[in-house]
Amino acid sequence: MAKEVLIVDDDPDFVETMEIILRGNGYETRSAEDGEEALKKVKEKIPDIILLDIMMKTKTDGIWASEKIRSNDKLKEIPIIMITAVNKDSEMAKFKLGHEEDMEYMPVNVFMEKPIESKDLLKEIKKLIGKP
Amino acid sequence: MKPKKCQVNDPECHLDVIREWHGNLESNLTDLIKNLKDIRNHSKVAKRAFSEHYAKTVELTEAKTRFTYEVSHELKAPLASVYNILNVILEGYLDKDFDKQKELLNRAKVRINDVIKLLNDLLTFSRLEEGTKKLEKERIRIGEMLPSLTEEMEAFAAINDIEINWDLPGNLPHIYGNLELLSRVFINIIHNAIKYSNPGNTVEVTGKKENNSFIFIVKDHGIGIKKKELSMIYNIFFRGENARPEHKKEGMGLGLSLVKRIIDAHGGSIEVKSKLNKGTTVGVSFPTT
Repeated sequence: MAKEVLIVDDDPDFVETMEIILRGNGYETRSAEDGEEALKKVKEKIPDIILLDIMMKTKTDGIWASEKIRSNDKLKEIPIIMITAVNKDSEMAKFKLGHEEDMEYMPVNVFMEKPIESKDLLKEIKKLIGKP
Repeated sequence: MKPKKCQVNDPECHLDVIREWHGNLESNLTDLIKNLKDIRNHSKVAKRAFSEHYAKTVELTEAKTRFTYEVSHELKAPLASVYNILNVILEGYLDKDFDKQKELLNRAKVRINDVIKLLNDLLTFSRLEEGTKKLEKERIRIGEMLPSLTEEMEAFAAINDIEINWDLPGNLPHIYGNLELLSRVFINIIHNAIKYSNPGNTVEVTGKKENNSFIFIVKDHGIGIKKKELSMIYNIFFRGENARPEHKKEGMGLGLSLVKRIIDAHGGSIEVKSKLNKGTTVGVSFPTT
C-alpha cells in the first residue's frame, strides 16, 4: 500500500495542488482544514507524514497541531513538514518561544516556505519517509 | 549685606556674626531642599510622561509589525497558490485533464482578483492616513446615490437567497464627501449583512434624516458577533470566530476597518449591536449639509 501524506491547510487551492503533485508521484493523500480536524484524522488513521500549514484562520493552527502531536506518545514520531507563507526563519523562532533553554527543541522535522516547488517537496518527503 | 566688623577682643560680636551666618545657611539649605523636592516632583511627572509615550510608541510599533506580517501573509498565500496552480499545469500533471486545468486556472484568476482587491483596500487605507484634505469631496444627494446601488445589492442578495427590505424615503438629505468611498461604506455594510445571514433571511436597510444627520441602519438576522469580539471588529484582518472559513464565509476581514476609517474621515460615526445567532444591526450617522 502506498504511503500516505496528510495535507493540512485552510487554503483549498494549496491543498488541491499538493494532492495533484503527491498523487501524481504515487503517494496517497488525505486533507484537513485546520489543526483540530487534522488531529482527528491523525487519530483515526496515522499518516506516514504530515504537511502542516502554520497560519490557519482558527485557533487550532499549525503550532497548536504540532504541539498536540508531539506531546502524544502514540503520534509523536510522525514526521511533520511545516509550511509557512511568510518567512520560515521568523516562524521557526516563534516555535521556540517558551522552549529557549532547549537549543535542540524543534517540534517539526522540516520548515518549507510557500510557494513550494514540487521537486523540493518530493525530495524532502523522500528523505523523511522514502519512496511511495 | 556688608559683613559686620568686630574688634578682636569682642567675643559677643563674633558670636553674632556666626549666628547670622548660621541663620543664612539654614534658610539657604531650606530653599535648596525645597528646590530639590520640586525637581524630584518634576522628574516624576517627566518620567511618567516619558513612560506613557514609550508605551504608546511600543504599542504602535507592535501594531505596525503585526500589520506588515498579516498583509504579507494575505498577499503571499494567494500568490503562492496561483504559483502552484501554474506549476502543476506547466509540469504536465494535468496534461490529460483539460477540464481540471480550466477549473484551476479560473480559481487562479479569482485569487489574483482577491489580491488586487486587497491592494486597492490598502491603497485606500494609505490615502486616508495621509489625511482627509487629500480626499476629493462633493455634495452628494443620498436620495440618488443609494438607489443606484440597489441593483448590485439585490443581485448579491438573490445569489445568497436573502431578501432586502428597503426603507428609503424620498426626502433624504445631502452629505459632503467622497462619492466612491461613501458608496463603499454602504455597499460593504449591506454586503456583510447578506454574507452573515442564513439563507431565507431578510435584511432591512433604512435611511432617514434626523436633525442635522443622515442615519443609515442595516439590520440582519444572521450569525451575529460574539460579545467579547465586538470591540475588535474594526481591527484590520479581524474576523469573528463564527465568520471564519469553517463556516464557509469568504473574505479577509479588511472591510469593516476600512469602513470605520472612511466614516471617521467624513466626521461620521458607526455603532454595531449584535447578538450571537440572532443577528447584527449596524447604524451609521453622517453630518448633513
